[in-house]
Amino acid sequence: MADKRESARQKTAEQKRVLDDVSRRRRQRKVLEALEFDNFSEDPHADLKMSKKAPKFEEAMDVNGPSSKKRRKSRGDFKQRYRKTFAALLEEEYLSSQQMVNREGVTYFSASAPPSPLPERHFCAVCGFSSNYTCVQCGARFCCIRCLGTHQDTRCLKWTA
Amino acid sequence: MATLVLDNGAGTAKVGYSTDKEPRIIPNCVMKAKNVRTRIFVGDQLEECKDLSSLFYLLPFQKGYLVNWDIERQVWDHMFGKDRYRVEFSDTNLIITEPFFNFQSIQEAMTEVLFEEYQFKALYRCNAPELSQYRYKYRYMESPLCTLVIDSGYSFTHIVPYCKGKKLRDAVTRINVGGKLLTNHLKEIISYRQLMVMDETCVVNQMKEDVCYVSSHFSQDMELARKKGPENTILREYVLPDFSHISRGYVRQKDDTTERKGEEQLIRMNNERFAVPELLFHPADVGIQEMGIPEAVIHVLSKLDEEMRPHLLNNIVLTGGNCHLPGFQDRLYRDIRSLASDEYDVNIFLPPNPITYAWEGGCLLAQDPDFENLVLTRQDYEEQGLSYALEKFDVW
Repeated sequence: MADKRESARQKTAEQKRVLDDVSRRRRQRKVLEALEFDNFSEDPHADLKMSKKAPKFEEAMDVNGPSSKKRRKSRGDFKQRYRKTFAALLEEEYLSSQQMVNREGVTYFSASAPPSPLPERHFCAVCGFSSNYTCVQCGARFCCIRCLGTHQDTRCLKWTA
Repeated sequence: MATLVLDNGAGTAKVGYSTDKEPRIIPNCVMKAKNVRTRIFVGDQLEECKDLSSLFYLLPFQKGYLVNWDIERQVWDHMFGKDRYRVEFSDTNLIITEPFFNFQSIQEAMTEVLFEEYQFKALYRCNAPELSQYRYKYRYMESPLCTLVIDSGYSFTHIVPYCKGKKLRDAVTRINVGGKLLTNHLKEIISYRQLMVMDETCVVNQMKEDVCYVSSHFSQDMELARKKGPENTILREYVLPDFSHISRGYVRQKDDTTERKGEEQLIRMNNERFAVPELLFHPADVGIQEMGIPEAVIHVLSKLDEEMRPHLLNNIVLTGGNCHLPGFQDRLYRDIRSLASDEYDVNIFLPPNPITYAWEGGCLLAQDPDFENLVLTRQDYEEQGLSYALEKFDVW
């Protein structure tokens, strides 16, 4: 019976946990990454290919092109070296830009616009109007008690902390 | 002999023969519809799709760079093939655009695919703003010395200065905010505040195009949006399509309050209307620590000789889909005007169609008497090899 007892103080302490800087930054990064997603859900046809009746897409598309046997053949063994993700390409670019460090010239990395010197503006994470307050736990912005309530009920520490 | 001009953007490809009046604007992706399970839609085959809900996108581009060749070739096969342009490859030149700082291996792959798989006769690779400034110069009897192209597209925004037709590479600046990010941000805030639309990229993108605008008085508009009732001139109600009776979303007129059937789904667009495009001017609003477009323009100018600045400020050209946002040009003018030195004139040119402007430039370039010397022929490629083919063009 003893292990059923729990401390109300400890329970609320977990809810009131203040997120440290590292996890706040990680959260922020995830939000930004989500803004680059192509799709939110998984492929709706992913389960389809099991069916024999379903078209095999890659082959089906060849019919449209000015296809010849030669081209279809080369499609199969298309150079492995060109199959790279953006991250891999970026790393490659980074390494080669490191090598030419003393040479002048801009790279993908240096062409990025620098941070703005203007002060940051803050908007309520719930309603989008300008906000004056910060959530103590997670650092999100809010503008009024009502929005804080919504924020705590729906977002604050509730997902991907 | 024909020349095909392909402005191969990450969002849409703009393609057509140099003698055509207008290009076709083809979504540069392969799509799967949730309710159409028997087929996929390649590029502009999407017109055949009646139900655009929960479209699943397969994009060849990631962050503006071509990484998925299998998908890109499906789109190109369709584009060049018998349903669309019926390209006679052995007798066709191709002008194709690439992003700035295009990675070496993408350039290699591109050259190889175009020459070895499609067997084009000759190739000209370039950055889209190069064609835009070429088109811009063509407007004048005496072409302007310098041009500053602001190309705000699907993946990002580039600010590129040109002097006498040459890009000033050290000053090229990129802001990682584009149309895709705006749509995704709008999706996110609507899903949190009103209705789950995270899967409705296509619908939300149309919504963005229909109701979003760039505010010239941001804080004033914020105050207006706070108001209730008729004082709030910002608020719009947007009717979502249901793909049975309503095939496309539209803005509900303010006066037809009576005949609401109760079936259609409404989205209330209030401060979202201008807070979303605002990211182009203040990326820091969502935590992207970069300058907005007007500040970045000044940043670009600060890297260049003082003699060039008045010429550049006097010849700013806007291209790319985001420039269609109402108020974009006015806001940009206001902001640049207040940031730039008052001894210079600021002149911003918004083409009638900023999306196809680079394509139009490509068509003009194809008619340039010098064009034949600029291209790389397949013969050259076969004799001299890939490295020669890469050096020929000033793309990176």
